[in-house]
This record gives sequence, structure tokens and C-alpha cells, in this order.
Amino acid sequence: MISIRHWFRERIPISGDVLRELTNEPVPNHLKRWWFCLGGTPAYLFVVQIVTGILLAFNYQATPTAAYESVRYITEEASYGWYFRGIHKWAATLMIAAVILHQMRVYFTAAYRKPRELNWMIGMCLLLGTLGLGFTGYCLVFEQLSYWGATVAANICDSVPWFGGFLKRMLLGGESYNEHTLSRMFILHAAVLPCVMILLLFVHISFIRLQGVTEFKFSDEPKDKPGFFSFFPDHLFTEVIIGLVLMLLLSFLASVVPAHLGPKADPFTTPETIKPEWFFYVMFRWLKLFSGTFAVLSIGFIIFAMFIWPWLDAGLRRITRNEEISTWIGIVAVIALIGLTVWEALAAH
Amino acid sequence: MEAKNDSTNARATEDRRGFLTKLPTLGMAAGLAGGYGTFFGMAGSYLYPAASNNKTWLLATHLDNVGPGQAYPFRTPAGEQVVIARVGSGASAEDFIALSSVCPHLGCRVHWEAQNDQFFCPCHNGTFSRDGAPTGGPPKDANQALIRYPLSVRGNLLFIEVDLTSLTT
Repeated sequence: MISIRHWFRERIPISGDVLRELTNEPVPNHLKRWWFCLGGTPAYLFVVQIVTGILLAFNYQATPTAAYESVRYITEEASYGWYFRGIHKWAATLMIAAVILHQMRVYFTAAYRKPRELNWMIGMCLLLGTLGLGFTGYCLVFEQLSYWGATVAANICDSVPWFGGFLKRMLLGGESYNEHTLSRMFILHAAVLPCVMILLLFVHISFIRLQGVTEFKFSDEPKDKPGFFSFFPDHLFTEVIIGLVLMLLLSFLASVVPAHLGPKADPFTTPETIKPEWFFYVMFRWLKLFSGTFAVLSIGFIIFAMFIWPWLDAGLRRITRNEEISTWIGIVAVIALIGLTVWEALAAH
Repeated sequence: MEAKNDSTNARATEDRRGFLTKLPTLGMAAGLAGGYGTFFGMAGSYLYPAASNNKTWLLATHLDNVGPGQAYPFRTPAGEQVVIARVGSGASAEDFIALSSVCPHLGCRVHWEAQNDQFFCPCHNGTFSRDGAPTGGPPKDANQALIRYPLSVRGNLLFIEVDLTSLTT
């Protein structure tokens, strides 16, 4: 046993103490509260997506003539295909919800302020990457929603002044939806976006490790209690429990509300009622309220403002001399987000 | 004065030497930037779709088949539905319109609603009159009419220019 350890120590010259120092980050006490563990939840779900995505890719064919049939085969014939597809679909839904909730938690606790502005921006990139994965994912099924979703998204790109046409052609691989479009979506979904997300997650977690987790004190905590606890094993156990609960929830959802297969894409008929996935309801309603270019430019402006929010917030606090200004703006934004989503969910058209 | 000249010369020599020492580094950086820049330029060109022109003129119908005020349904070889209508009493291409069913807002397909006498786009609630003019929803705000296919008349025959590209062929 000692010789085996010695053999490894010679080839991997890191002592246990150094390894413990590198991985065992002191975790602030507030992370014992579940609400503050929302950052680890999307990371766990992302791993679930990679594993189930690789399994699905074994049987998926990214061509307009074969895609729908291959998804039908996965869902109806392949052993446990329905289960893995269901897990993939529900993990995507939960991942988007968890990312949004994590971002809200960071926002309302002002954890994005100096010196964590850059990590907020990386978080924004991760949010957009997650939405991009969600969008390209449902384009791959090649049902009606997939086809019309891709068409509408490409034309939204086209509405962007100056380089919109370029974006549209790059996304579709031509002027309109064609035989190259699905393979582009597949490469974006299964290779480009996951690689970018992994890199961004690495930087995101490195920043957290370098700057430490923002500390929060609660009035109900005893004053003499130590402010930190160990990552290993205490916090890791919390994450393991979260992971197990998520797997149970995903299995339950995949079994009780399985991923269904809508009508096959028909390029000549837009269905009478068509709606994107719930996470695009806000944008969809916005596009109904305003004309194309204005709607697209205003969405772009809102996303840009979110990116630079740490600096906007600092400026607003200085001008208004109100420390709570970001909280009030956040409350209005969340009400608008929920309001537009519910409006779109309830409206027939 | 001489000492000052000496120090100026020494500084000039030092600057020259410094510049010459940096030259290979700058050259290497420029070479790397040029080399990788070319590589990524080629990758961009590879990814950018080539322009395709798969359009052709097809015989749509005999002029007598579409009376003034009447509409004629036409389906392109790629499967696209086109509504051809005679809006004038003459026999020139200007007396006909051929409306695309592609909504000019974000590319969904419109369909005819006979009860409302309008074309309706289910994606963002755009509506159009029977001659393709926008009457409601985002297309009206942006004044986007339904796209018209080019038509031409040769003799007694009406021709239409359509795209032959299809997803299923």
C-alpha cells in the first residue's frame, strides 16, 4: 500500500496538505441556508445535461429528413430513451429556473458589487449561454415549435441593424431554414455552447475561490459562533443531498410528465397557436407589443444594462443617495418578468 | 557641451539597441497574429454560408383563369402556397399580385381567415388585408406588407419567379 502511494507521489508531486489547501475553501455560515446554495444547483444540473446529452446523441441524427424520426425512436423504442430524454428536458427547465433564481439572489443581496463586478458579467454570459442551450435544444427535435422557433429567432437576429443579416445567415447556414440549419444547431448545442460554458464556469468558480464567497450575517445567529465552516466534508455533503433530491425530482418529473413529441415540422404551415418554451415567454410577449426593430433593440439594451449593472448601480446610488435603489428597480423588473410571462401563458394569442 | 553631446549619443545608441532587441519579439508577435488571424479568417469564411440562387421563372396559369377581383391558388414545386389575385382589368403583370404567405415581421406563415376577411399570422398576431397591406399587430406598426412574388406576362400566360429550394428534396 505504501509502495503504491509512493509510486503515485513520485508521478503526482502534490502533498495532501497542499491539495487540501487548494480544494478546502472556508465557506461562510450563511451557506448552511438552502436558499444560498442555488449556485451549485445549476452546476449539478449542467453535469446531468452533459451525461444525458451524450446518451441522447448516440441515437440522434441532425438532418431534416431523419431528426424527428430519431427523436421518436429515442422516445418510443430505445431502452430507457424516454427516461433520458425526460431527464434532459426537465433538467434544462430546472437549470434555467435555478440560474435565474441564483442571479436574483446575487442581485437582491448586492453580491455583485465591488470587487465582484467581473464575476457578475461572467454570470450574465452563463445566463445567456444557458438560454442559448435551451433554445438550440428545442430546435433539434424538429417538431413544429423547433422549426418556427428557429425561423423567428433568425429573423429577430435579422432585425438587428448593421450586422443582423450576417447573424441570421450564420445561424441558419443560409438565407432561410435549409438542410444545413439543423446540423448548425446541433453543433452549437452539443459542442460550442457546452465548451464555452465549461470555460466560463471554470473562470466563475475561480473568481469565487479567489475573492471568497460574499459573507452575510443574520440577526438570529449567535455572536460567538465561528463565521466559517469547511467545504470538505460539510458543504460537499449539502451539495450531495441537493444532487440526490434533484435526481429524485427529475426522475419523478420524467416519469409523470414525460417529454412529449409534437407534430413534425411543416415549413408551409405555422400552427394556429404557437408559443416558445416558458423561458422565452417574456421576449415573445414583448415582440407582440412592439414593432420588430424597436422590440429587438430594446431587448438588446436591457441585456446590455444587465451586463454593466454593477457600475450603473454604483452611479445610481451616488446620484440618488439611496442605498436601496437597486432593490426597488429589481422588484419592478421581477414584477415585469413575472407579469409578462403570466400574460403570455394565459393569452390564447 | 561635449559631455552633453556624449550623453545624448549614448542614449540614442541605447534606444537603437533597445529597439533592435525588441524587433525579433515584435516580428514574432506580428507573425503569430498574422498566422492565427489568417487561420480564423479562413474558419469564418468556411462557416459563412455561400450565397445560393435557386430561383426560376415558372408558368403560373393562363390569364383567363383569373378574372378581375378573383384569386388563384398556386403551389410552387418546393410546396409553398402562393395566392395570385387579379387587381386590375388589364392584361399586364401590374394587374396581378402574387402574395407570399411568409409574414414580413419574423417569418412565420400567415393563413387566410375568411370570417375576418384578412390574412392572420399566429406568431405575433399580425394581420393583413386581401391585397397584403398590414392592418394590425407588429407589421402595421412597422408598415410591413406581405412580400410579393415577381410576375411577368408573356402572351396570354402568367409567369412567376419562385425559389425551388426545399427541405425535403
